Amino acid sequence: MYQIITGPLLWLTFLVFVGGLAWRVYTYIKGLDWKLDRVAYGTQSAYGWRGAMNSIGSWIVPFGSQGWKVKPIFTILFFVFHIGIVITPLFLAGHLVVLKMRFGFAWPALPMILADVMTVAMLCAGLFIIVRRIALPEVRIITSLYDYLLLAITIAPFFTGFMAVHQLGGDYKFWLYAHILTGELMLLAVPFTKLFHVVGFFLSRGQLGMDYGIKRGGMRGTNMAW
Amino acid sequence: MPEGKFCNRTPINTQEALEALLGDKGGKQYYAEMEELDVDKAKLAASIQNTCKSRTRTWLEMCAHCGLCADSCFLYLCNDRDPKQVPAYKIQSTLGEMVKRNGDVDNEFMRKAMEIAWSQCTCCNRCGQYCPYGIDMGVMFSYTRGLLYSQGFVPWELKIGSGMHRVYKAQMNVTDEDWTETCEWMCEEAQDEWPGMEIPIDKQDADIMYTVNAREPKHYPEDISEAAILFHVAGENWTVPSSGWEQTSLSLFAGDWEACTMQVKHVYAAIERLNPKRCVGTECGHAHRATVIEGPYWAGRADGLPPKPYLHYVEWLAEALRLGKIKIDPAKRIKQLVTLQDSCNYIRNYGLKEVTREIMSYLVEPGYFVEMSPNKEHNFCCGGGGGFNGVGRFRPQRNRALMVKRDQILATGAKLVVAPCHNCWDAIRDLEEEFKIGIKWSFLKPLVISMMVVPDHLKPQEEEE
Repeated sequence: MYQIITGPLLWLTFLVFVGGLAWRVYTYIKGLDWKLDRVAYGTQSAYGWRGAMNSIGSWIVPFGSQGWKVKPIFTILFFVFHIGIVITPLFLAGHLVVLKMRFGFAWPALPMILADVMTVAMLCAGLFIIVRRIALPEVRIITSLYDYLLLAITIAPFFTGFMAVHQLGGDYKFWLYAHILTGELMLLAVPFTKLFHVVGFFLSRGQLGMDYGIKRGGMRGTNMAW
Repeated sequence: MPEGKFCNRTPINTQEALEALLGDKGGKQYYAEMEELDVDKAKLAASIQNTCKSRTRTWLEMCAHCGLCADSCFLYLCNDRDPKQVPAYKIQSTLGEMVKRNGDVDNEFMRKAMEIAWSQCTCCNRCGQYCPYGIDMGVMFSYTRGLLYSQGFVPWELKIGSGMHRVYKAQMNVTDEDWTETCEWMCEEAQDEWPGMEIPIDKQDADIMYTVNAREPKHYPEDISEAAILFHVAGENWTVPSSGWEQTSLSLFAGDWEACTMQVKHVYAAIERLNPKRCVGTECGHAHRATVIEGPYWAGRADGLPPKPYLHYVEWLAEALRLGKIKIDPAKRIKQLVTLQDSCNYIRNYGLKEVTREIMSYLVEPGYFVEMSPNKEHNFCCGGGGGFNGVGRFRPQRNRALMVKRDQILATGAKLVVAPCHNCWDAIRDLEEEFKIGIKWSFLKPLVISMMVVPDHLKPQEEEE
């Protein structure tokens, strides 16, 4: 069992994850249409790239955009959640040990305590994001079961991983297997659900940035103050 | 009933059809027929297949339902934060459903979608600024309007409006003859006070070709003479085209892309014919949007630019003040609190925020200019954009929508609002009528004329005794 889920299944997961996202990027860009979108992507690309960078840059930095500034609590939750999701697994000592064993190389790991703090913070932020969905009428009305399902898929590998690492909940093997499987499920879900925003954010924010960078003021020398 | 006499999927292309529809006062029969109008599902599915591409599909699919767009929407704010006014909800329940069901929607759905597309969104594009993914629901609602229009589900006034463009190449029944006569008449009227002033029609190779909003010749002809006076004082070599003078596009509000294309190509044809160095348009937001921002794309211009540099009036005016072509008498500068309305169409969507402020710096005594909050590209819609001002059926909703601008103006303490946009100007006039907050509002042209220095050689000469 362990051999399969950390061997062929893991490779399949990576393949689907990377291939699926590449497909997403390809179809998105291929589907852009300068006439229908009314953005001269091709002929004004220098302005376009400038606008795209301004747009992405303003939103990827905490409090970098007006949108983040007016919602400070959500912004903190949001960044704690996302930094936890991206950084923790990539720099977790436990993951890097496996990498080193398999391929003979690894990069420096986060101190264990920091990884723990980030995981717990991410789980708490996730919990608040769920509470927010229920509590705020303007969020509740657009929330569907699908949103909760995706939150569950996202949170599961972190919760199970934390249980396994700290040998909580008794059965270590159960939590370890659960962690590996839910982690794979999450990676598999990314290209097929709106979790594809791992690339979609850059595409979509970049596109609107191009729109502003080319058509809506960029060519007049105005940088949009996002 | 498949299609009605007035409410149908056929655009208005003849004067007879236009007059017949105008004869249906208030669209009484039109809206009654709409209740029975069938949806051509095959056509709708085909439109979606052909025009709903990756940008829009990604926007619809990827929306994280985070609700950050709610507070960005002035219609959400002024409707007691009604969750049904959250932009994401509005678009998901209209276009989102339409795309998900691939056009398999019924009459009731379309009528509801029409109400949302024209009374719950002015296409101000502010939500796109506040969405982490940059999902621009204003762009999507404009697209939705196009789908609705093609199925005959469009407010009566806007069916007429786009018909006007198709028949008269203008948003109102103003013919080219009416236009040139108005220019001549305005010129004659002004000549006593402004000897030597001209409104040159169809002059070749001028420095500036000037274009207007059809309601200026129709209802506010003094606006044309004001423009002429300012060009005269600035010593500009300018002209107006006898045809292709109308810069606006109610078809943009209606979602009638074919009429938008016809209209803008008509203006571009005048540019090609007269070969001016550049063009200047009047103080109108959507006219600029239609002719300069979106227009090049409708006309199929790959560089996204009009055939010649095309300035909004505020760009020309700022330049004239900067270069000293028009000088302001310091004694006449505004010495009362004054605020400035940022038009979505050329501030948020064309980046002219510093240009209008530069003009204010010439016109207003230091210390008297007060910014609204929020302002510049983050400003709220006047409340009447995107055709909202003109739709009788949605007048109560429109009046409510004015409350955000009212409160913004009240918070400045200013009693004068400079509104260099026809739509904003109307909305602010209406909000004063509706709420009586004791303000005045003005375009730039009359303000500048009232405070500029007139060089002696342009003044009427006293007759020798």
